[in-house]
Amino acid sequence: MTGKNLEKAFLALVLMVVFGLPLILRSPTYLHILVLLYLYAYLTTSWNLVGGFAGVLPLGHAAFFGIGAYTSTVLYVQYGVSPWFGMVLGGVIASITGIMIGLPTFKMRGAYFALATIAFGEGMRVMVENIDHLGPLNINGPRGLQIPPLNVGLANLMFINKEPYYYIILVMLIAVLALTYVISRSRLGYYLNAGGEEPEAAMSLGVNVARCKLMAMAMSSFLTALAGSFYAQFSLFIHPKSVISLDLSFEIAFIALIGGRGSIVGPVLGALLLRPVSDFSRIYFGATLPGLHLIIFGTVLILVMIYLPRGLQQPLTRAYQRILNRLAQSPR
Amino acid sequence: MRILEVRNLVKVFGGLRAVDGLDLTIDEGQILGLIGPNGAGKSTAFNCIAGVYPPTAGEVCFYGEKTNGQKPWDLCSKGLARTFQIVKPFASKSLLYNVMVGAFSKTRKRGKAEEKALEVLTSLHLYAKKDMKAANLTIADRKRLEIARALATEPKLLLLDEVMAGLRPTEVDEMVAIIRTLRDRGITVFLIEHIMRAIMALSDRIVVIHYGRKISEGTPKEVASDERVIKAYLGEDYGVS
Repeated sequence: MTGKNLEKAFLALVLMVVFGLPLILRSPTYLHILVLLYLYAYLTTSWNLVGGFAGVLPLGHAAFFGIGAYTSTVLYVQYGVSPWFGMVLGGVIASITGIMIGLPTFKMRGAYFALATIAFGEGMRVMVENIDHLGPLNINGPRGLQIPPLNVGLANLMFINKEPYYYIILVMLIAVLALTYVISRSRLGYYLNAGGEEPEAAMSLGVNVARCKLMAMAMSSFLTALAGSFYAQFSLFIHPKSVISLDLSFEIAFIALIGGRGSIVGPVLGALLLRPVSDFSRIYFGATLPGLHLIIFGTVLILVMIYLPRGLQQPLTRAYQRILNRLAQSPR
Repeated sequence: MRILEVRNLVKVFGGLRAVDGLDLTIDEGQILGLIGPNGAGKSTAFNCIAGVYPPTAGEVCFYGEKTNGQKPWDLCSKGLARTFQIVKPFASKSLLYNVMVGAFSKTRKRGKAEEKALEVLTSLHLYAKKDMKAANLTIADRKRLEIARALATEPKLLLLDEVMAGLRPTEVDEMVAIIRTLRDRGITVFLIEHIMRAIMALSDRIVVIHYGRKISEGTPKEVASDERVIKAYLGEDYGVS
């Protein structure tokens, strides 16, 4: 077998496992954990378009997540509009917001950009916490919104079992990974990387760095908002602290940095490692040591930054390549 | 055909007139050298021409079109490319990747960009190193990579900002040969250089600036014997015999 074929076989195997998993794993708890794992992998992959490729560190993505969650929820609860529509509309609103945020902030460098985006995310949360009615829309301030679990079914993106949620987020994750792969090999991908690393050189080579970053931001915020709507339909209850929290923005960045910023598999590896840590520490130490997962994240992050500055994907992809090569060369 | 015309260019930084009323022209196919003592305003003039800074006053015309205030990426698509005095490779990427960024300015297709990049790398004798990371290159190769990236954008006018600084004499000779081949390919070259041996050998004409003003212009021979040039480099007290 050639290396290409082996790679395809490996990919097929992974797909079979992830699609078959709910058939073996009947426990709703584990499915719930997996749904959240995929959700975070999806979120981090979307974040990676800006935070990885464009070389900046946005820490306010929870705001886009919140926009998605609130748009679909308000429309569904108040007007009975299908959450699928609310999802797309939320994406568009988030995308426009992303561009508005990007216009003034992309000129800032390093920590200043990160701080500006934190301020944006936190500002958004405080606003939503303090507003009960936005025109005719009831967003219910800090009490949040509950989605009555009636009329379940695909049309309303609401299910009794966890399996449908599992498959929806899985398909979303695969789609966003495919999109990232295509972008990374396209002109936009090259331009984003170049502009992130040496903006002046990139500009002199014909790259409109600011416009490329805005395009990445528009896509990233759109995709993040889709996940927000999905999450709202999954948990059926949202409030500002759960969907626009700084913790969420940070966790996305943690996963990206530990998994490997700017790589395609990095966010998935990061989520695979960190999500179980946070879920199980909440299950087993939630009462005695709340927030333990954040301590573990911090420690892991420090170790990774010192020993593997390009993230966990670096040694793992190298090992994967080595195994592929050995298998490809082994005599039949 | 006049490819670049600079008229009365002024660039002011606060109270400093870095470029102060500079005039110069380049005809297609020429190699023009720009020399002057450190801090004379050479790189600032380059940056004004390449669109990095908007000029405070004066005009920059590229193929007869006034380009003041146009952005570097617009000028690049019109056929003006440049290198940087302090090299700026995309360090974490391979040479091929670096050059492909330049090649993408003329095509959206990945295959075409790769083909162009490989062609440029071959012509600059960097093909064997195409998969190396730019961070691991020697200074000579980094300077060459700067040129390769700029060439991949298919420029008509190439601004070279001290591409020979820090090179060993044999490397300088190689670079001189490379720049000659650029001219043979029909690219007009405008270069800043401190290595006199190289600039004397290469240039058709030389412009000398000092404190942002042009103090001399002519063939290498004329410039080298100009009293004002010698004084600018060696000081007022230096007697010319």
